Amino acid sequence: MTAPRDPADNPDDAQRRPGGMSRRQLLRHGAWFGGAVVLTVAGGEVISHIGGAPAAALADDPNALRFVQISDSHIGFHGPANLDVTGSFARAITQVNSLDLAPDFVMHTGDLTHLSAAAQFDQVKQMLGGLRTGKVFTVPGEHDSVDDHGQKYRATFGAGSRGDGWYSFDIKGVHVIALVNTLALEKLGHLGVDQLDFIQRDVASLSSDTPIVVFSHIPLFAMYPAWGWGTDDATQALSYLRRFSSVTCLNGHVHQLFSKTEGNVTFYSATTTAYPLPHPGQAAAPAPLTLPAGQLGDALGIRDVTYQPGQHALAVRDRKLT
Amino acid sequence: MTTRRAALPATSLRIGVAVCLAASGVVHAELYIHGYRAIPGIGPMFLLQASGSLAVAVLLLIGAPPVLRLGAAALTAGALGGFALSRTVGVFGFIERGLNPAPEALISIVVEVAALLLLAIPPAIARGARRSPLRPR
Repeated sequence: MTAPRDPADNPDDAQRRPGGMSRRQLLRHGAWFGGAVVLTVAGGEVISHIGGAPAAALADDPNALRFVQISDSHIGFHGPANLDVTGSFARAITQVNSLDLAPDFVMHTGDLTHLSAAAQFDQVKQMLGGLRTGKVFTVPGEHDSVDDHGQKYRATFGAGSRGDGWYSFDIKGVHVIALVNTLALEKLGHLGVDQLDFIQRDVASLSSDTPIVVFSHIPLFAMYPAWGWGTDDATQALSYLRRFSSVTCLNGHVHQLFSKTEGNVTFYSATTTAYPLPHPGQAAAPAPLTLPAGQLGDALGIRDVTYQPGQHALAVRDRKLT
Repeated sequence: MTTRRAALPATSLRIGVAVCLAASGVVHAELYIHGYRAIPGIGPMFLLQASGSLAVAVLLLIGAPPVLRLGAAALTAGALGGFALSRTVGVFGFIERGLNPAPEALISIVVEVAALLLLAIPPAIARGARRSPLRPR
């Protein structure tokens, strides 16, 4: 006859938990889990080093290109969605000026004014003059050409531009193209033959490894065509940029953050400093949204972008308005 | 002999899952390095997906305890879920259309679905065996 088995004879049995797992099993599972975590962290370190310096490190690199995008300030807007768009824009400018390092340039991607009034252009130009940066650039929005095909806009901000206000420049190894897709729009944005020709000629002599940054007001991708959030001849424009290894398109107009990638091109829609618009299709029309008290600041913001020579992509950081 | 025969398919399944998971990890790492790292919110998720998948793939070559199988399933299901969200409502405002970027998107879906199917085989067989036990006469 066998003596009754004492649970103490088998440590596993003695320490078995009500859930059915012994201490040994628990340790084994913990070891596997710990191994997975250690390998994940180590692998993450290796991959991120292959990818290049993280954005935080880029911010400290004196050779890196830094610029800020602000958009859709709508100076002159009066409505419950934002009772003080001038104050919001002033806060955005203060926020840009308080960045650790002054940006090489600031780009305003359109709808500087709400109704294209001369006084509104004067006001926004004066305010932009308070930016602590090397240079301020702009592209027009449809609100900047309400009744004059952009004449007042070009008189105020068009110096050095071509055609209806488009231009390009090079800075720290990056080629920047500023486009106008708001003057001939019917439903969608439109670039037109002359501007397409300009883009084709502009990039013809560039090496394919030159990073390209494109600014426009209306998105160059079909974000939501039912609301006009797209550009009807953007495909043609982007075809001239297909051979470049890194193309970044930054736009305004939609008053909300949005990003997507198509092959070598990454698109980033910026938020606004004025008032939010509904998400695509979540309202009958893209009309200004009035948010509950205290939530407006979360919907507004600025964007700072960093590019380190030799890297493939730009590091984009969106900041809420403070 | 029987035990060895039974172990062979289990080992094959385990290696199959590891290969699929490693492929998914390589695709995510490649996309992270070549651009996605710059996309807010998306970059860190791609890095986690890549390093996590490669880590679990390596460990699956050693063994396949439940915690690893669970991790493998979570990683592949998470990647597929992220892909679906990025084609519908978006992830942190990030939206893509169709099987872009090509061919990485398609490769990623195929290997992740394959990994999930391979992971589902042993539990399905075990459940079937429990439902119809062989009774000695």
